[in-house]
Amino acid sequence: MDLEAVVKSMGTHERKVLLALQQLGGEGDIADVAGRAALEPATAMRAALALQGLGFIRIEERKRTLAAATEEGLAYAKDGLPERRMLRSLLELGPCTPEEAASRAGLTEGQMRIALGWLRRKGWAVFIKQAGRTMLAPTRDGEAAAGKKQQDEELLELLALKSVEVEELPSHLRSELAVLARRGLVEVEQRVQRRLALTEPGERALALGLELVEEVSELTQELLVSGRWREVKFRRYDVAAPGPQLVPGRLHPQQEIIEELREILLEMGFVEIKSNLVESEFWNFDVLFQAQDHPAREIHASLSLSKPGRARLPEALVERVASAHERGVAGSTGWGYKFDADISRRPVMCSQTTAATIRYLASHPKPPAKVFCLGRVYRHEKIDYKHLAEFYQAEGIVMDEGLTLRDMLGYLKLIINKLGFERVRFRPGMFPFTEPSVEADVYHPRRREWIEILGAGMFRPEVLRPLGVRCPVLAWGIGLTRLIAMRLGLEDIRDVFCNDLRWISRTTKLKPSGG
Amino acid sequence: MPTISVKYRDLCELLGRRVRWGSLKRSLMMMGIEAEAAGGELKLEVAHNRPDLLSVEGVARALRGFLGIEVGLPNYGLKNSGVVVRVDRSTRGVRPYFAGGIVEDVKLTDASVAQLMQVQDKLHETLGRDRRRVAIGIHDLDRVRPPFRYTTVSPEGVRFVPLDMDRELTPAEILGEHPKGVRYAHLLQGFDRYPLIVDAKGNVLSMPPIINGELTRVTAGTRRLFVDVTGTHERAVNQALVILMTGLAERGFKLGSISVKYPGRSLRVPDLKPRRKRLNVRAANEMLGLKLRVREAAEIMRRMRFGVVGARGDSLSLLVPPYRTDILHEVDLIEELAVGYGYDRLKPTLPKVATVGERHPLEALSARVRKVLTGLGFLEVMTFTLTNPRTNFELMRAEGEAATIANPISEEYTILRTWLIPCLMSVFRENKLHPLPQRIFEVGDVVLLDEGAETGARDVRRVAAAAVGDVGNFTYIKAVAEAVLRELNVSYEVKPLEHPSFLEGRAAEVVSEGKRLGIIGELHPEVILNFELEHPVAALELDLQAG
Repeated sequence: MDLEAVVKSMGTHERKVLLALQQLGGEGDIADVAGRAALEPATAMRAALALQGLGFIRIEERKRTLAAATEEGLAYAKDGLPERRMLRSLLELGPCTPEEAASRAGLTEGQMRIALGWLRRKGWAVFIKQAGRTMLAPTRDGEAAAGKKQQDEELLELLALKSVEVEELPSHLRSELAVLARRGLVEVEQRVQRRLALTEPGERALALGLELVEEVSELTQELLVSGRWREVKFRRYDVAAPGPQLVPGRLHPQQEIIEELREILLEMGFVEIKSNLVESEFWNFDVLFQAQDHPAREIHASLSLSKPGRARLPEALVERVASAHERGVAGSTGWGYKFDADISRRPVMCSQTTAATIRYLASHPKPPAKVFCLGRVYRHEKIDYKHLAEFYQAEGIVMDEGLTLRDMLGYLKLIINKLGFERVRFRPGMFPFTEPSVEADVYHPRRREWIEILGAGMFRPEVLRPLGVRCPVLAWGIGLTRLIAMRLGLEDIRDVFCNDLRWISRTTKLKPSGG
Repeated sequence: MPTISVKYRDLCELLGRRVRWGSLKRSLMMMGIEAEAAGGELKLEVAHNRPDLLSVEGVARALRGFLGIEVGLPNYGLKNSGVVVRVDRSTRGVRPYFAGGIVEDVKLTDASVAQLMQVQDKLHETLGRDRRRVAIGIHDLDRVRPPFRYTTVSPEGVRFVPLDMDRELTPAEILGEHPKGVRYAHLLQGFDRYPLIVDAKGNVLSMPPIINGELTRVTAGTRRLFVDVTGTHERAVNQALVILMTGLAERGFKLGSISVKYPGRSLRVPDLKPRRKRLNVRAANEMLGLKLRVREAAEIMRRMRFGVVGARGDSLSLLVPPYRTDILHEVDLIEELAVGYGYDRLKPTLPKVATVGERHPLEALSARVRKVLTGLGFLEVMTFTLTNPRTNFELMRAEGEAATIANPISEEYTILRTWLIPCLMSVFRENKLHPLPQRIFEVGDVVLLDEGAETGARDVRRVAAAAVGDVGNFTYIKAVAEAVLRELNVSYEVKPLEHPSFLEGRAAEVVSEGKRLGIIGELHPEVILNFELEHPVAALELDLQAG
């Protein structure tokens, strides 16, 4: 920055200090400068430091030992030391009792005792016996001392005028300093003295001319309305200084990714449906051609309910499903066991959102249809860094005449690409309700590995026929926990439900590549 | 999904050639088997519906076809061994079905004995439903003398040395003392006679489904095997037998059938006859989006180890190997065709299915509410619907009923929440060391018991918001509630409410068209302290689907 710009950007305080220093001849104590600039010493010092930073002045610091009179010392300097005042009385009264002398001198009892001590020590008075009474009488020294200032008195008077640097005291007075200090009449202290001195750039800055304008910190209504804002100077802020932190209201990071997925599916023309948290075993398993003794239905796989107790079922559909299980349907062998509708009526925590898409097909058996469901599902899992008992699943179906397995892969690839994964790989999978079945893996560039992301397939005829559906239905499901954890950079999947408010307010989702 | 471990060398020997691990892993993946190598062992994850892949022999058999080493229907010779097993009528009530077979020319190594144990275990777990449906016993035939009898015995009616014991026990003692007895005693609970297999001299081979006798223990020196399978589901019993025996045949051992004589009927097992199934190639092409010729399809199916006995028009006549218990319908054959063709060769296509996307109205409403509350500076939290009565009721000074889990995972998750405010209080508790004020909300479902609902319970979408610190007062939270209601165009009234969770005189209900839409209030000091908080809290909870 050139000098002119620097001078222009200087604040009022800095200008005042610089001008004051100039008036003091280019050099002066900070106290003197502050006085001249009409600033508080602390304000002047801050400005001085700023000026030093600009290179306009030098600040020299010097440690000094100062001697100054105390309050008591100041009083004695005015009225005289107690022993001096007592001596004066004695000389006026002649030998008398101490009390008489003190009373004449106007001393308190305490001061009288001090005076007696010092009269003796200085040899100005002695006690004598006179007519059986103890009297105080001035000595010759005392008479000689009358009207003649002693060194200690001289020093006290000097220090009463102003504090003096010990080293500058005349040598004959310096020895008295300790005595007066012991008497508590004088204080000796260390002080740092700051002297300011103009530098050559400072002088050049002054030569450019410093205008003094009023500086304000805030723009007020008064300033705006009165038009005074034109005349004042606004204090410059240190714009890089750290300020308070604000936390905006925001969505939970998991919710953000769920919303993103919802948008993707809506864009693709899928209609959203809702799942039930509490389902019957019929809709959760039976309709999906999962045999009633299938391992996935055992007590350790899903969460069953003791309350409510029984669900109502669509009886006609139950019969068709039962016969598909027992004897098969549409050319299938079936499972060859005895179907039990009591099992179907048991309520269970929804373990797959497929229950919702199947309910939709049961009431909308005619093509075309594209629906999806984003909902919570439940598993009988001990919760740890890899497992949750309650988590989100996304599920979708496409129903139309003539759909093929390759079409299935086409939808999957599109959804996965839209989620931000570029490379996808398909391999055979196994689900009780689809045939053929597919598993899809995505390539995670940061981790450099393939990660299983979704399962899909075409609903089996044993599933569709009892519902009255006659054309192919493509179905896919994504357990969202792993996907969400990946997008949020979480290792422990429990953290997708993290409610640490600092985390929620600071977390942003990552691109799958980590970029 | 069940997992088995196999030795790489063993697998290669069964394949008859050495296949590099990388390409082996890839082939297995394209057959639907996930494989990981861990210290000389391979861990293979196999589909639930493919019990025939639960042994290294079964995997090798499928791989030989997939790799083109040996294709078509595997051919297993089966001799009549002349062994007879009589089934006593008394088994009918407890475990009615029996099947079995003989394996000769057996040459076992420690590795193949381990595989034999593994396939037995895995079949128990899957097809056998942990031995309830099917249990398998494998015996050294030369230690006993046929004919055998499948019968029952009273709990104290016999004494024999069970496997891994050195003294004779009665069946009752086995259920009480032997580790397997203790583990599987529940399968015989309530019966006064237990299943038993004995030889011509009354020696005990097995007490199904619990334990074999020590007498017929199989060792590396065993030359002839007797296999027994018992169960409650005849089809599954036979499937387990076929899968086990054809697997052993893959090692070159000879199979022998036996005659099972039930009262009034007798049959010869195992039944290794393949089933005939038709595959319509045109229908398959339509389903897969391919244009395979019948001849190509036949070749692929042979690689998947199906027999092809003829082609007529678009139709292939196939022989399904007896161990392929998963083939229920033609679609299962079509999937085989797709797997044999190679999922990696299927090119994705995108059809036009003309539909218009539409957000669920409840989700649209939820999104609006989220927008209002984030606009007011609230942070969204997401908590579990699973909770416990202490959090949902007691800490809130409230009472009530909730949908209840019969088999909870832990004491923390025993019921479904009936309201959201306790969840928000728990979040405040988690964040009590963070700076105040805090403003949070959740849009989520609660579950209410409702006899009128199909399942006896229904989900209700709610929003709850809460503030702690100097904003934890009625005036503020009411203003928030009103902002939400205004944005949703709801007309409402605010009426005083007495509620145990809130300070007296500082709670209100929001009523719209005569229905309670929600509640607002300052939390009761006891509730605040119950959640280990030290600052005032105010909260609101509104129904988003009351109307």
